[in-house]
Amino acid sequence: MNSLLSNTSLNRRDFLKSSGLALGGLTIAVSFPLGTLAAGDEAGFAPNAWLHIAENGDTTLWCGRCEMGQGISTALPAAVADELEADWSRVKVLQADGHKDKYGPQGTGGSRSINEMLEPMRKAGAAGREMLVAAAAQSWAIPAAECKAHNHQVTNTRDNRVMGYGELASLAATLPVPADPTLKTREQFRYIGKPLQRHDQAEIVTGERTYGADVKLPGMKYGAVRHVPVMGGSVKSFDASALEGMQGITAVLEIPRFEDPYGTVGGVAVVADNSWLALEGAKKLQIDWEAGPHGSYETEAYKAELVKHVEAPGEKVFERGTPDQALADGTVRLSGTYVGGHLSHSPMEPMASAAWVTDDRCEIWASTQDPQGIQRTIAALLGREEQDIIVHVMMAGGAFGRKFQCDYVTEAVALSQAVKAPVQLTWSREEDTRTGYYHSCSAQHIEAALDKDGQLTAWLHRAAFPPISSLFNPTVTRPGEGELVRIIKHPYGIEHVRIESGEAIAHTRIGWYRAVYDIFWGFAINVFTNELAEKAGKDPLDLYRSIYANNKDPEQVEAAQRSLAVVNKAAEMGSWGKTLPAGQGLGIAVHHSYNSYTAMVVHAERDGDNIKVLRVDCAVDCGLVLNPDIAAAQMEGAVIMGLGFALRTEVRFKDGAVINSNFHDYPVLRIQEAPPVINVEFIGQDYRSTGLGEPGVPTFAPALANAIYAAGGPRYRSLPFKAGA
Amino acid sequence: MSNTITINGQDTVADVPAEMPLLWFLRDTLELTGTKYGWGMALCGACTVHIDGEAVRSCVTPVSAAFGKSVTTIEGLSTDGSHPLQIAWLKNNVPQCGYCQAGQIMSAADLLSKNPDPSVDEIHAAMQGNICRCGTYVRIRSAILDAAQSMKEA
Repeated sequence: MNSLLSNTSLNRRDFLKSSGLALGGLTIAVSFPLGTLAAGDEAGFAPNAWLHIAENGDTTLWCGRCEMGQGISTALPAAVADELEADWSRVKVLQADGHKDKYGPQGTGGSRSINEMLEPMRKAGAAGREMLVAAAAQSWAIPAAECKAHNHQVTNTRDNRVMGYGELASLAATLPVPADPTLKTREQFRYIGKPLQRHDQAEIVTGERTYGADVKLPGMKYGAVRHVPVMGGSVKSFDASALEGMQGITAVLEIPRFEDPYGTVGGVAVVADNSWLALEGAKKLQIDWEAGPHGSYETEAYKAELVKHVEAPGEKVFERGTPDQALADGTVRLSGTYVGGHLSHSPMEPMASAAWVTDDRCEIWASTQDPQGIQRTIAALLGREEQDIIVHVMMAGGAFGRKFQCDYVTEAVALSQAVKAPVQLTWSREEDTRTGYYHSCSAQHIEAALDKDGQLTAWLHRAAFPPISSLFNPTVTRPGEGELVRIIKHPYGIEHVRIESGEAIAHTRIGWYRAVYDIFWGFAINVFTNELAEKAGKDPLDLYRSIYANNKDPEQVEAAQRSLAVVNKAAEMGSWGKTLPAGQGLGIAVHHSYNSYTAMVVHAERDGDNIKVLRVDCAVDCGLVLNPDIAAAQMEGAVIMGLGFALRTEVRFKDGAVINSNFHDYPVLRIQEAPPVINVEFIGQDYRSTGLGEPGVPTFAPALANAIYAAGGPRYRSLPFKAGA
Repeated sequence: MSNTITINGQDTVADVPAEMPLLWFLRDTLELTGTKYGWGMALCGACTVHIDGEAVRSCVTPVSAAFGKSVTTIEGLSTDGSHPLQIAWLKNNVPQCGYCQAGQIMSAADLLSKNPDPSVDEIHAAMQGNICRCGTYVRIRSAILDAAQSMKEA
């Protein structure tokens, strides 16, 4: 039974450079040819990969970006349907498989989907509309200008005859695809900007929506795995004798480490007839681990080191003006140090994937944020071509950045290859908690000065945290310029600035967690700004206003104006300055990230250590809002997640391994703690649309910290507020 | 004891070890995947089903506990998605990723069957065992109040 899985292709492949996408949350401009590949060979009309209209008018739209609850598989197809003048009730949305040539970049993170895809998707729909109109014009032998597309049909404006899209599909399919179709004006939108219901809600409330963990295949086996607990460690030996005699166990296998950023740390897996047997079997294994070079990692000591590194001069990354002089000349001076802990994404659906590998085929069904990352990683694992790895993108039961990396898919593939059957691998919650790509722990130190006129003129910002780039290049010892870009470009526009990086060697895998580094930028900058206002005897709102109004950096004019607008709007919504009973306070924060702007006013009550959030007012500028209800839900989710990591959640390490295991010691927020009221309003809708999956997350925790202080509570400078409590 | 369970109205023989958790019998044997595995320790409520109308965490309930009884899963809560909670969930656009929502709805159904007019505090008491990571709690609260209202009017 103890067969050892070995695979000669498990060698490191040097694609680290090419796969280091979006480090530090940089937005990458994307252009790729659209409309070169049609949806399929079936009859009907398929001018590009995004849409198909059958001869009976049934319309299918594909979403190339991955759905994990953020609503993208409604928002983008609705934009296609709008430009296509399709009837939404005739539309079915399908999730596209991984396919670079058809769908362009599919990695779903960095709040980039709307930013990058809205215009190409609108063009795809508009191209379809123009072709259907051209087909109708040809049928009636009249100019296209005298035909009008509306709600799944084209009308002959001379005589009011109509032809349905289904009737027109075959003829339209023979016509040339316009390269530059005319897009609708905003007044013509029917779905964009409307609170259209998500396409899959009814399936969710009846239990029919299937996720990565729900895939069933003929002859399928179920896997469970126990991972090497320390990064860089290994399996010394294992004893599976406790499983002897258990019915329904197929195999016990060692999964070797696959040295790839998205590979696997390795471990021991049990494959069985059902998940219960696999999970129980894995629990019974006696495994002797080799800890490896990171076996002494301990979070509290490490964070104390980071604090030392930021409270002493670091490596200069950026400088403008003469910050030392400006600090020395300041009338009001302040310094502060801010610390944050590791976080686990802990989506409700643990890491799960099904894989079926044969000698000539590899097919994968995965909850994922990056199907092309899977293709790349599994091609390297198996020594096959990327296009031969078929990846079906399943609905993810939450992801928050974790399902960008596909270690769980790597393992499912290895197990399927070994047992020569399809395998569904679902990690136990304990493995999910302990085998993460964690949000980085961090320390920041800020020194700043106001001049005699009360203007913020000097800012020194040091940051130390193990960066995500360490995943791709283990020789990285500190955050680099790309990972500090958001503080370099923070729209305060201060005249004298220096940004420094402190040493922070990674001892665990660091990954993208919803809002990534902006969680710590938003926290430190906003709490510090409120402290600075207090020291200067100013209202924090007035300080924000004067900072943004005085931002003279020509590259930041728009960012400063939009930041000012959301902070003013949130203040208005939350009745900033109103008188409150003792023990209650208002806190304010504003943050610009992922091309969007959010500000919040939090109304909180404290009774000793007991903190209650009574109301949250969120002002958001993400440009034109595609779907106000889905967008508001993203902000509500950001508040709930932010409240959880402000109050409590932190992943802690001892002896190189994670101490936490399940919800009892990683206590995410429950319903009784959710604020009674979360108001969300959108402004700035004349700007182009930008993403909102992440931008709300950094803003809540500092607003709450400021509210607690205003309520007479302590000044919290760490996340969670009471670290180690 | 007979190992027959009535699942969503259908008599089903549970030809599996008696200690197998009901969750995995539903998901892996019967392929009723609407009931979810979240945390495996009765900590998150994603696996909530009803046994004889009582909400249980199926991840820690042995299949034998359901022998001779009636089990309702999300697939059997209504035949056509017309349970007042399902309608209220749609009206409030509750789900984001949706993975926890079957468990949320089954817990809420148990609450409303015993307390047709719950206060917000009573909703919290009944629902605190159901975790949502997307943060849909505010809408869950509203949806339960809406469903209670519509059941009163019905």
